[in-house]
Amino acid sequence: MIDSIRDSALYKIANPESIAIFGASNKYTAMGTGILSSIMQMGFEGRIYPVHPKEAVVQGHKAYSSVLDLPETPDLAIIVLPTLVVPEVVDECGQKGIGHAIVVSGGFSEVGDDGATLEKRLKDAAARHKIRFLGPNCIGVVNTHLKFNATFLPCEHPPGFIGMASQSGSFITQMFDYLGRYSLGFSTGFSVGNEASIDIVDCMEYLAHCPDTRVIGLYIESIRRGRKFIDTARRIMPQKPIVAYYVGGTEAGGRAGLSHTGALAGEDRIYDGVLKQSGVIRAHSIEELFDICWCLGTCPLPKGNRVVVQTHSGGPGAVAADACSRNGLELPAIEDGTKQKLAEYIPHTGTMNNPVDLTFTNRNLDYFVDLPKILLQDKNVDALLVYMMMPRGMILRVAESMGVAKEEAREAAVKFIKDQSTQMADAMRNSDKPWIGYSYYSMESDFIASLYKAGAPVMPGPNRAARALGAMGQYVEMRNKIISLN
Amino acid sequence: MEIINQAVAANQQALSEYQAKLVLAGYGICVTREKLAADRDAAVAAAREIGFPVVVKGSGANLMHKTESGVVFVNIADEQGIADAFETIAGRLGGNFKEVLIQEMVSGKRELVLGLHREPQFGPCVMLGLGGVLTELINDTAFRIAPFNETEAKDMAADLRSSEIFKAFRGEAAADMDKLAQSLCALGHIGMEQENIAEIDINPMIITPDGGLKAVDALVVLKGGSH
Repeated sequence: MIDSIRDSALYKIANPESIAIFGASNKYTAMGTGILSSIMQMGFEGRIYPVHPKEAVVQGHKAYSSVLDLPETPDLAIIVLPTLVVPEVVDECGQKGIGHAIVVSGGFSEVGDDGATLEKRLKDAAARHKIRFLGPNCIGVVNTHLKFNATFLPCEHPPGFIGMASQSGSFITQMFDYLGRYSLGFSTGFSVGNEASIDIVDCMEYLAHCPDTRVIGLYIESIRRGRKFIDTARRIMPQKPIVAYYVGGTEAGGRAGLSHTGALAGEDRIYDGVLKQSGVIRAHSIEELFDICWCLGTCPLPKGNRVVVQTHSGGPGAVAADACSRNGLELPAIEDGTKQKLAEYIPHTGTMNNPVDLTFTNRNLDYFVDLPKILLQDKNVDALLVYMMMPRGMILRVAESMGVAKEEAREAAVKFIKDQSTQMADAMRNSDKPWIGYSYYSMESDFIASLYKAGAPVMPGPNRAARALGAMGQYVEMRNKIISLN
Repeated sequence: MEIINQAVAANQQALSEYQAKLVLAGYGICVTREKLAADRDAAVAAAREIGFPVVVKGSGANLMHKTESGVVFVNIADEQGIADAFETIAGRLGGNFKEVLIQEMVSGKRELVLGLHREPQFGPCVMLGLGGVLTELINDTAFRIAPFNETEAKDMAADLRSSEIFKAFRGEAAADMDKLAQSLCALGHIGMEQENIAEIDINPMIITPDGGLKAVDALVVLKGGSH
């Protein structure tokens, strides 16, 4: 385990001050061109040196016909060239003194024996010059806090707190839009490709030390350095949670030998054990992975598994209670003292059992700020799930029925929604117990959109909220176990 | 371990059940009381010593699936039964017959399977599952990579869908979880220390009515044995 982020082989890859890029041109269909465009589009402030055999200028940058001609030794080489020339180019980068590279080019060990031979040549060339590289066959890296997006898709989400390492490049680049929708984002994302030089364990170590990363996400198809993975994860997880989505073989009998044990040892079951003993939370979909990262990155940790559900609609409350019970969460009875405090808020149609159901209320701010605070003061309660719904149309209707003019009502509604969501997000952020919202409404609802923008975790639906909260509980349990053993 | 070295030197694919139990017992795993017997009289004497009822099994390093070969007789209650079982086993194995294993009869309604195999990326890997004849069908298993400690081993037991099996059940006591955890860790140690062992099955490991654990059948496959 490294002591500092600067000791990581990935430091210069994720934080370069200057880059050489091979394979970018003025031809807009080339992948290298796309990567250079992404780098420029996000506003990278470092120096950029395109290397191109013919072009004098590439996308406005002076180009060089050989890396040896560059006016300085850049921190990082990004190589997006035909497979066959890659080992030679890496060798030239080494001659120039470049210590780090991203090899985007594919056609190596992933395509069979000939590719594996080429990959060996690539590794040999890198080893000769002590070059550490990401890839080959990867999609690159994004460091949103440095405005450095060396992938071929534009990254428009704000700088985020999820540090991700993925064995599929798509789960970096194609998640930009997905995360942005919830005002989430990657702090740094690594596509590891064939892991010829740098693997997912190196990425975990980097992200463990990365100050912008609050939670580490992994997409895993196969772990190469198995034992190192377990040891490293166990060392990292007490300080920073790790969430992994593993997709591999589900078939039993992959290890068939002479014993029953061999026949029963399916990869999925083995990875399940590996992740558990590593203290890594296992997600079962990409959405779930990011839900859990979202809650872990924005909420305090629960002290226990007792949840109170607050709703003003029966069905969504009942569904949340059901989802809690399937995710290892309990719904305790609330204390009498809490009931007394609630009495003035809850109409005779409501219930003070758990779920606490207000039914219809015309006191919105009570619902979104005061009531949750009262419920979270209850000693029987470790966490809160709040059902959220505030369609603008409904507020407009109320305002209009009170005789407010249409245009004025619209402005008032916008302001009302903004005030409510801001106050609620503040209360959620300042709570010392986790407080997670859930809703069937989406970004289309300006109340929900505004909560996202304020950094509040509002899960799409109660099942996802209960699962994310359950996973936070699992994290606490695993952390206690691992700390007690260290 | 001497038994393993000798078996490797003799080109055995696997240890005999008797040898396997010695290895397991050497690592503190609780196994059945048992004796080898090469003739009828020795078999009867062994059964008397162990106490009826007993189990009579054909014994040999190449007998990896004894039940399928029809050389396992359980719940033998008297000397005539021993004699009959001995003759039948000798007859079925013919020229391959060498000796029988006389073993205490272990009762208990709950059967576990414990195992060890090697994972290319992770190394020795220990399994715990629901045992008995439905093991593969039910496929309720948990795995951990060795080495791990007893806390982790107990976590593994909690992972089983049927983890309720460890609680008191139909007049039988709750399983001794410390003992179970120790057995799982012991398998891990074997994996770490005995490079010549490729795979181990303990199936069944019976939870006895008093909550104890006893390895009733065991298979130790040697390196090269599983190809």
